[in-house]
Amino acid sequence: MLRTALLACLLALAGYASAAWLTHDFQIWTAEGARRLEVAQHPVPVPPVTVDGPGMAAQPLPALLAQGGGVTLVDFIYTRCQTVCLSLGSSFQQLQAALLADRAAGAHAGVRLLSISFDDAHDTPAVLQAYARTLQADPLVWNWVRVPDVAQQQALLQRLGVVVVPDGRGDYEHNAAFLVLDAQGRLVRVFDLAEQQLALDFARHLAQGGRL
Amino acid sequence: MSARPLRAAVAAMSTISAIRAHTTPQRQAWVGAALLGLLLVPAVRQWLTASMWRHMVLQFPLWMLAGAWLVAVLPPTARARVARWNAYGISGLVGAGAALAVLMVPRVLDLVLVSAPVEAAKCAALLLAGAGLRLSWRAAGLVVQGFFLGNMLPMTAVVGQLYIDSPLRLCNAYLLDDQARLGAWLVTAAALLAVGWLAQVAWWVVRREALVMQAARTARP
Repeated sequence: MLRTALLACLLALAGYASAAWLTHDFQIWTAEGARRLEVAQHPVPVPPVTVDGPGMAAQPLPALLAQGGGVTLVDFIYTRCQTVCLSLGSSFQQLQAALLADRAAGAHAGVRLLSISFDDAHDTPAVLQAYARTLQADPLVWNWVRVPDVAQQQALLQRLGVVVVPDGRGDYEHNAAFLVLDAQGRLVRVFDLAEQQLALDFARHLAQGGRL
Repeated sequence: MSARPLRAAVAAMSTISAIRAHTTPQRQAWVGAALLGLLLVPAVRQWLTASMWRHMVLQFPLWMLAGAWLVAVLPPTARARVARWNAYGISGLVGAGAALAVLMVPRVLDLVLVSAPVEAAKCAALLLAGAGLRLSWRAAGLVVQGFFLGNMLPMTAVVGQLYIDSPLRLCNAYLLDDQARLGAWLVTAAALLAVGWLAQVAWWVVRREALVMQAARTARP
């Protein structure tokens, strides 16, 4: 019986240890939670993938992020989307209004918006341009790109932890969020869709030279 | 819930009991090894993990089943040695319970798709959980069995209900309706296992009473 008690305790401990490892000490329960926590602890550099979009030549993504030495709020979208991207679009419209107001007031000029399409086959620069126009995106603060090379696009999605699942009806489900990237081309935070203001304030803080 | 899962569960259970009734330990171990080989085939693994409900309601139990069948080949001496560390089946049930509880964390389902070491650990844990249950169940007796199921089944049902109710996708790799389907399966499986075990207990009690009555009748002069 003593042996049994010992072994049972060891097994229970092993279970506890694996659960603690899996949930980052019981802070998170989902892969998305883990991704957000891990990014906040260790920024993730974007791979040097080539992007193109309306009004810009093909260029490496890190170079685009480094322009202006500021902070970029990124979302991943596809233009045929009828669900979460629409709400992302209206969030980005509100963010754009706030950033334009900032610039008019002469503050926080370093924060920009970038929408990246993961539907590279459909979302050509021309399609992105038309879509950006419907959302009244101002190229001064809000740009649109896609990753024309399929392998590079996969690498980018994988590195940033963006998971896109075809739903079998021609649409995709994806873990939409606000991604904050710094001028060094590193993903430093991932904010939930409900944390729009927090994402904006964090980007402003970072653009002012605030610490991570 | 349609009747299809219920019929499938009943068919699976009767198949298992039929196999158990008609096989030698060696044959059982061969079947277990064959199942293990099948589960290791990349295409099979792909198909089982392509959907959230198949991943948890099919793949998990199949790995456990493989473990339970493989352990049949354990010789009596080894079995006795294991039993010394497993009084009343407590170690086996604690181990299986811990493994299953950890594997209910939603992050697992996403993580095993992208991390080979975690997938290997998951499969090993399920194999061992199946073997542990097999070696412990009879030794546990009704009280310990009831305690184990009384913890595991409500936990399974609660996780299932969470999956049904959650408006958010808890796994990045799976669709929302798939998640709800998995939830319904988990609740159903928990209910079926509870009913099955209670039926078994009732059967056992009735049989014992019949034996007691019979003994009393034969003891009378």
